This record gives sequence, structure tokens and C-alpha cells, in this order.
Amino acid sequence: MATLTYLQAISAALRDELRADERVLLMGEDIGTFGGAFKVTDGFIEEFGPDRVMDTPLAESAIIGTAVGAAVVGMRPVCEMQFADFISCGFDQLVNVAGKMYYRQGLAVPITVRLPSGGGFSGGPFHSQNPEAWFMHAPGIKVVAPSTAEDAKGLLHTAIHDPNPVCFMEHKHLYRRIRGEVPDGIYETPLKARVARAGTDLVVIAYGAMVHTALEATADLDGASVEVLDLRSLVPLDEEAILDSVARCSKVVIVDEANATCAAGAQVAALIAERGFEDLDGPIVRVATPDVPIPFSPPLEQAVLPSVERVREACRELLEY
Amino acid sequence: MSSSSTSGAGQLAGGTGAGLVDVTMPQMGVSVAEGTIVAWRAQVGEHIEAEQTICEISTDKIDTEVPAPVSGILAEILVEPEQTVPVGTVLARIATAAGATSGGEAGPQEGTAAHMGAGNGGGAPEGAAAAAGSGSQRAADGRGAPTTAQAPERPPRERVENGRTRGRYSPVVQRIAAEHGVDLAQVQGTGRGGRVRKQDVLRFIGEGGAGAQEPAEPPLHIESPYRPEPTLAAAPAATGSAQTPSAPPSAPTLTPAVALPGTLSRMRRQIGEHMKRSLQTAATCTTWIEVDLSRVETARRRLGVTALAFVARATIDALREHPELNAWLEDERYTRHQGVNLGIAVSLGESGLIVPVIHGAHELSIEGLAARIRDLAARARAGQLSPDEVRGGTFTITNPGQYGSIMATPIINQPQVGILDFEATVKRPVVVTDAQGNDAIAIRPITILGLSWDHRALDGAQAAQFLAAVKRALEAVPL
Amino acid sequence: MATDTAEPVAGAADASAHLTLEDRIELLRAMLMMRGIEAKAMSLYRQGKIPGSFYDGYGQEAVSAGAAFAMAPEDRLCILHRDLAAHLIRGVAPARIFAQYMGRATGVTRGREGNVHFGDWRLGCVGMVSMLPDMMLVATGMAMAFKLRGEQRCALTWFGDGSTSRGDFHEAMNWAGVQRLPVIFVLENNQYAYSTPLDKQFAVDPVARAAAYGFLGVTVDGNDVEAVFEATRQARERALAGEGPTLIEAVTMRMHGHAAHDDMKYVPKAMVEEWRKRDPIERQERRLRELGVAVESLREGIMAEIEAAAEEALRAPMPDPASATEGVFCEGEAEPLGDGRAPWSGFAEPGAVGRAL
Repeated sequence: MATLTYLQAISAALRDELRADERVLLMGEDIGTFGGAFKVTDGFIEEFGPDRVMDTPLAESAIIGTAVGAAVVGMRPVCEMQFADFISCGFDQLVNVAGKMYYRQGLAVPITVRLPSGGGFSGGPFHSQNPEAWFMHAPGIKVVAPSTAEDAKGLLHTAIHDPNPVCFMEHKHLYRRIRGEVPDGIYETPLKARVARAGTDLVVIAYGAMVHTALEATADLDGASVEVLDLRSLVPLDEEAILDSVARCSKVVIVDEANATCAAGAQVAALIAERGFEDLDGPIVRVATPDVPIPFSPPLEQAVLPSVERVREACRELLEY
Repeated sequence: MSSSSTSGAGQLAGGTGAGLVDVTMPQMGVSVAEGTIVAWRAQVGEHIEAEQTICEISTDKIDTEVPAPVSGILAEILVEPEQTVPVGTVLARIATAAGATSGGEAGPQEGTAAHMGAGNGGGAPEGAAAAAGSGSQRAADGRGAPTTAQAPERPPRERVENGRTRGRYSPVVQRIAAEHGVDLAQVQGTGRGGRVRKQDVLRFIGEGGAGAQEPAEPPLHIESPYRPEPTLAAAPAATGSAQTPSAPPSAPTLTPAVALPGTLSRMRRQIGEHMKRSLQTAATCTTWIEVDLSRVETARRRLGVTALAFVARATIDALREHPELNAWLEDERYTRHQGVNLGIAVSLGESGLIVPVIHGAHELSIEGLAARIRDLAARARAGQLSPDEVRGGTFTITNPGQYGSIMATPIINQPQVGILDFEATVKRPVVVTDAQGNDAIAIRPITILGLSWDHRALDGAQAAQFLAAVKRALEAVPL
Repeated sequence: MATDTAEPVAGAADASAHLTLEDRIELLRAMLMMRGIEAKAMSLYRQGKIPGSFYDGYGQEAVSAGAAFAMAPEDRLCILHRDLAAHLIRGVAPARIFAQYMGRATGVTRGREGNVHFGDWRLGCVGMVSMLPDMMLVATGMAMAFKLRGEQRCALTWFGDGSTSRGDFHEAMNWAGVQRLPVIFVLENNQYAYSTPLDKQFAVDPVARAAAYGFLGVTVDGNDVEAVFEATRQARERALAGEGPTLIEAVTMRMHGHAAHDDMKYVPKAMVEEWRKRDPIERQERRLRELGVAVESLREGIMAEIEAAAEEALRAPMPDPASATEGVFCEGEAEPLGDGRAPWSGFAEPGAVGRAL
């Protein structure tokens, strides 16, 4: 066991995989000599060499496309989009080549795409996005989103071991702000949700950075017992855990840092409305970033991202309903 | 066609001011969406009597006359001849002496019912003659909120919040209340606007509030078969067709229809006519069979439906095996039907009996049948059935079991040839034989199904075989 | 532009230095099979037995037959929609191809994909996507893995003149060039991308662009199957020697419409007539007749085979609708592409007989 930051946990996972499995290959812009834009792969090239910690040309479509090629001849590529936002440049390769290959041809594509996502530090519209919903919507792609250091490492191992394309949503704002106990060695976190805090009066469903927002917002809320469910896996979505929390708490607040329309939380809300209707004691409430590009100036950005206060107020209102 | 067959005529849709009653375009059948004024038979300022023809209309299905819903002065005409308007459009307004009329008047009600009855008697075979009439009467006749045996739907005090009225219980609150037999009207709500929240109903139960009512289930008697059976969610209470209407009403919310002193109500008379005619026409016999409902009891709890839904499904399956019972006999004309349009008799208390029909019942699952029964019963009691919903039945089930009676001799619903009576379920000691052939005594929930059948169309052996098929199906329900 | 006068890099004489008579017959067989299967399939399509759309490579058979013939069992191929001969050379049975067109359960993709969007991964073929030229990047990635692991193998992909206008062409060429990868890019310049002629597609002949990416570009007569083979063989040698990628521009002509629903009225009739005289199959048949081969009996045998294959496919069942939502995710181990058939005598043990198709 060690206490690691979220970022250190990701580094540790990559390092363990590179050491254990010669098929693992890291690909991304500036990840080799420079050690990565966020220093996730700092020191890697010295240990593993430029062939396994590959500095690629600036070409997201090619990063994903060549990763697919390498994967179908037996490698385990882990590509990095320097910012999750740039996945749009590789959308076609990810959705149409990687995502659909197994269904169409029976040929598995075991790639992992690391996506540093999220805002809160004046990154502006192209460095702050949470694009996971686009890929939840594309058949054949798994999507995971850890919120703790332990899960960051475990889910990355799971993703790399998975024979399917997996989007690994690593939240930039958690990199150095979150730390926790992380087991040594290679372990897999299952693609299931986790009860971050158990409760009875209301459940807040969230993932990624919003788990921490939810925990803070509901730690001391008029004495109410508020459960926080950390989804961890968006595809596959842990429907059983969601419905179980709803059955026990009967009031739900769903938090998305992503833009509200068709975010992951919208799918969760639809699931609950369809299959958890009988357990509801109030409307399903969503707190999300409005449908705007993430603005740069701090007061603007703070006004749109779900804040602790906004989540707390939404919970308070629903508790009183 | 005579004016008597207009069913939606004179909807008392709520006057627009003191003493003004709307006359609206009626819906002459399910698919009809509009009608055309052919001619007005009265002028503005003219006094008209209730039931007097006020205008002639033409629709896709029929041309007919619209009777005035109340007596009064024709205050305004809103639609001119040759204009086509959608169903429900206000055609004219009548100024009455009193305010917006309540249901107290016997005249319009009876009159309408009489017209309905006469019209229906001559037309397609139907259930109770009052069917079409009841379809048009609404809150005006004072029937009030439908009686559903689950937690009463009376909402807590209405409040307008954010422009929306809150008057509902949430799904989880209703479910918990149903499970514990809680009358939600008794639960103090601590939610917004006095809303009953989950914790409120849970607290109420914890403090022993539940049990003040009868539990919603189980429906079985213990020992004495004469203890009134607790009413179930969808069990339609139908008075046995052969019994007189003198049974005391158990549903206190039904206001008795006002009858002229010393005589039966028109509706009661019409039902009586229908019954008598049936006995005079058909060679009515009744056969009974005992059925062990233990599997049904288990399965229905799991599915959350009533035993009637299971009996309905078993009946449909038996009718498929024995199509001679899914038929009409009108004088010499004998018609067997492919599909099953199942009539379910619904008691309207003192107001009589109505038989809404589940069309295409053979296509429904048990849950589907339960839902349709619930819906039809609720709308029957609210007077919201449409003419199509009381026509076309090929077989009828009557289920009066809540009072404890165990057998009856129901009267066949003309021109059908069979009617199944499902009375009370009583726990009885029965002999069961195990695989080795040893006999033992066991306690089982037993009911006696009665089939009245027309000896002109079939014989006793067929009737018995049909009952045996129903019994087989019920005793083989998957758990 | 080089597209008008296709000077072959390697003449037929050079080619025959590496091709035995058996090989040359195999090349003709592959082309005849492709044309025959596509003709039969077109007939089935017009009979309503093939759903969706139907594409063929009529007149371009030499490009896929010749290039695929130069690929070793351990090489990997991304095959496109006018390259049916490549599938046949790698070992896909004709009956499975017909079943694939007809959406049957025995088709290569079991009904999940249509017409030529298939690749038997067990034979080292990757099934194409419709977005062109996405597969250039996949081929580049395969070559990248071979180089990283120090393996003596290469990857090859076909693509058309039209698709060189899209970003993935550039990204693949650039990546392959900067990493000096053992990948062969076969550009089938068949003069038209649907209805778009070359002069609306690019300002510079794409073969000239290879130099801009740091590697060799060669133009070859796309209707001379032996020339195509030779150009590919040389490209493969270069790749395995660490000299990086080659762009082979195979100049040919699309003799049918873009698909069965296209009557290609936009192509000047004179152009079509000119290219008809250069039919690749007739060309190879002439060669072989001169060498004394009984070409007609070869044809007959192939027609009989094709008929039998079509019959077999017509008897095959449609896929079970209940299976439509299965197999989105791989549940077990990810299996890499397998080796394919490689009939060229150059791959066999010394003295071994070339394998028949």
C-alpha cells in the first residue's frame, strides 16, 4: 500500500503494465522525452525506451488508427489524447474503426485511450471538456471514469486488460488534488459502481470529479443521511447499483460536469424513470453544466460548472419535497 | 336512427357562467372525430325542455338528433348549419333557472337513461341497458370519485405550486401504503405543501397507524365464509345478476340515484327487462365446479394482480378449446366468434349493473387483463365508458365474491350463450393424494365457479367440459 | 500527369524472372475468379437476392491480384471494395463470399456487414470501413508493430484516388514516412471517385506526393497483373530491408459504375473504349496462350466452381434475428490476425509445387 495522488496512481498503473506485459505500448504527443503534458509518463522513456513510450506526430486520427493496427497484430496500445477535447480529431477512427470492428468482423481491438478531461482551472473551451457521452453512444466502446487514486490505478489495469476499446476518462482537476491509499501491484477494479458514502434519505449519483463535489456538498446537510454513488463505469453502466440506491433512498440527484443535454446523467435518469419509478418519492433532479462551451474567465467558469453550493441546494430542495 | 342512441349528448361540461349549460358535439363511435350541424330545431330565446331535440347532426357513422341536456332558454347558438366541428365542441348554450346543474335532477338522468335503454334494446346486443347512458353521465349525477379498493385516491389538500397543482402521492408512497393497508388521507405530510413523503408513511406505520384499515390482501376468508371479503385493487363489485337490488350497498361513496317514490328507477327497470327477457328466451341451466386456487393465490401476489385476472385468462383459454360457448344465439341465428371479447360485470351500486367489454381479450396476458379490468371498472364507475366499450361482448364473467356468497345462478347476457360466475374464495379442508397414493387433509383456498349456459346452443357435457378446462388452467398456473 | 502514360516500373520481362508458369496461371485464375464471382453476384443482385448495394472491380482485377500475390502468409492486408482477388488469394472460399453478399449466416461477417466490407481475420485480412482511407492508418499501425518487434513482415493496404483527399491519407503517409515503416500503400487510380474525375480531386498526382513524405512513389500499369506483382514484390523487399514505405500508384480504369446503381454516364465513352482494349484479363490470357496454356478450359473450370459456390450460398440460412445484439464486445481473449494463404512460389520451400487456388 502507498499513498499516491490520482496522477501518481495512473503513472504507477502504466509502469506496472509496461513491466509486466511486453505487448503494452504507450503512444501520445510529448509523452516520451517530455514526460507528458501533465508528467504522467515522467521518467518512462529512460526505463522503457522510445519504442514503448512513443512520441507521435501531432495526429490524433493516426494515433488511434495506428493503435488499432498495432492491436490487431497482438500489441496492447495505450494511446493518450493530450487533452480529452482532441478526441474529436480521432472520432472517426475510434467510433467507426475501433468500436465497430468486433461486431462486424469478429476481430477484437484491445486499445485503451486515455483522456485527460474536465475543467475548473481556466482551460477554456478546448481544454476542459467531458466528452464521455459521445462514446457511451457509440456501440463497441467501453467508458470508465475513476474518482479516486485507488480506482484510477485499478480501472486503468482493467482497461488495458480488456480486449475491447476502452476510453479512460482521467480527470485533470483530480490529478494532484486527490490522494489516497493505493494497493501495490496489478489489480483490477471491476466495471461496477461504488457507494462512496452510504445513506438513506437521498442519493447523489456522480462520477469523476463530481463525486468529490457531491461528497462535500452533502457531508453536513441538515442532518440528512445522503448516499453518494460513484458510477466508476459508464459503459457498462451498473444499472443494478443505481436501482438499488434508488430503492433505498427514493430521492435522486444526478450530477454531471459534462454539458447537460444527453450527458451520462441523462441516461441514468432515463434508466431510473423507466425501471425505478415505483421507488421514487420525488422527481429525478439533475445538476449539470449548462449547454455552453466552458468559458475561460474564472467567474464565468465557476458559474457554469456544478459547484458544491448548487449541488447542496438541489439536495436540500429535494429532501424537503 | 332515433335520438335515443346519441350517447354523448348533453355533456354537462360545466357551465361557463351562472345558469349556462353547454350543448356539445357528441362522439358517435370510437373513430368519429367530428360532426356537422344539419339544422337547428330551436331558436335563440325559445324555451326548450330537457330531452327535446335541439338540433340535427351528421357524422361519418350516423345522422342523428341531439337532445337538450336541460330545460331552459336557448341562450346562444355557436355553430351554424353545414359547419363541421370536432367532437366536444360547444354548439350552443342553454340558460337554466338554477346554477350549473348538479346531478340531483332525476328527470334528465332517467330520461337520458330511458332513451339510451330503448335505443340499445333494439340495436346490437349489449350488456346492461344503462351502459350507454352511464357513459355520458359524469360528475353531474353525483357518483363522485370511483371507488378503488386500494388506498383511496382522494388527494390531500390541493395546492398550487409553481403553477402546478400538487395533489398526488408519489409511487413509493402509494406502494408502501398499499402494502400496509394505510389510508393516506390519515397520514400527516411533512413535505412541501403538506405532501406526504416516504418517511411520513413509514413513520405512520411504525407508530401503529396501519391496521386501522383492513389490509388490502389477502382476500381469503378464514373459517366463516360470511365475513365480508376485503375489497381488492381491481375486483369489480357486481351484484349477482339473479339477486334483487336490495343488497345493502357496501360502497358508501356511491350516492343512490334518485327514484320516483314507490317505483323502481328506470335503469333498474331496464335491467330487469333484460334479465327477464333472457330467462324467457334462453333455456338457462347452471353447472358448477370446485377449483383449488392455491397456485393462483401465490402467483397473483407475485404479479400484484387479482384472482379475477387469472380467471379471465383461464376462461379465454377454455373458450378457445370450447368455442361453442363463445357464441351468439339470436333467434335461429347462431354465430361463433374467433376472438374473445370478454365482458366483466361491474356493479354501479344502486344504479345497477354495467358490463364493459375487453375487446380482443384473447391477446392479453394476465397482467394486461388485470390492467384493462382495473381501467374499465374505474371508468365504469365514473361514468366514462364509451358506447363501443359496452358492445360486442362474446362471453361474460361476473365476480361478486366480496360479500361471501359462494354460488349463484347467473342470468345469461343476451345474445351470448354462457356466463361465468366467480364467487368467494374460502379456505376449506380438502383431501389431497400424494405421489404414493396416500390421502391426507390439507387446507386450500377453494372457489366454486358457476356457468350458466343456454341449452338451446349446447348441452351439459360441453358445459362441464368447459368448466373442467377452466379449472385445469387455474390449477396449473405457474408459480 | 503520370496517370495518362503509365510507364511500368517493372516490365513483364522482369516480372517473369520471379514468376513460374504456375504462378502466372494462378494470377489469371485469381482474376478470372474475381470477375466471374462479381458477374454472378451482379446477376443475383438484379434478381433481388443481394440486399443493399453492390460494388465490383471490373477492369481492375490486376491491381488486387498482383499485389496480394506478393504478400507472405505472415503479412497483413487491408482490402478494399474493388479488391476481391486479394480475398481469394488469401484463401477465402467463394461460397462464403456469395453468402456475405447475400447477408447469410455463413457469410464472412455473418450478416453484420454488407457487400465487400469484410475481411477474414483468421487469414490476416482486415475488413474495411466506409470512411476512406481510414484503413491506411490501420495498415500503418500494423507495420509499426512489426518494426517495433523487429519482425520481417509488412502490411499493405489499397485505397482509391478519391480518398487521397482526406486527412487520414496525409496522416498515414506522414506517420509511415517519419517512422520508416514497412507498409505498402497501393493507390488504385481508376480515374474516377464515383463521378468525380481526377482533375477535381487533386492538383498534383498523388504519386508525386510520396517524396513529400520522405519515401518512394512508383507508378505501375494497373492492368498488367505481373507488373503490379513485381512492383509490390520490390516494395516488400524494400520494406523488409528497413527502407520504409512505398506508394504504388496502379493506373487503371473503373469499367463499371461506382456501384450497381450507377450507370456512369459521366464517363466519356471514348475513354471506356480505350481502356477496354487494355483489359487485364485478356492481357494475361494472351500471355499464357503464347506460353501454350489451355486458357479456355481454365475458364470453364472456374465458371463451374463459381456456379457451385453460388448454389451453396443460396442454400445457406439467413442469420437468426435474436443474434442481432450479440457480439458487440469481445468477452474472452483478443485474438490477433492469423496467417493467410500465399501461393507465390517465391514463398514456398525450394522445390515445392505452387498451390492451386
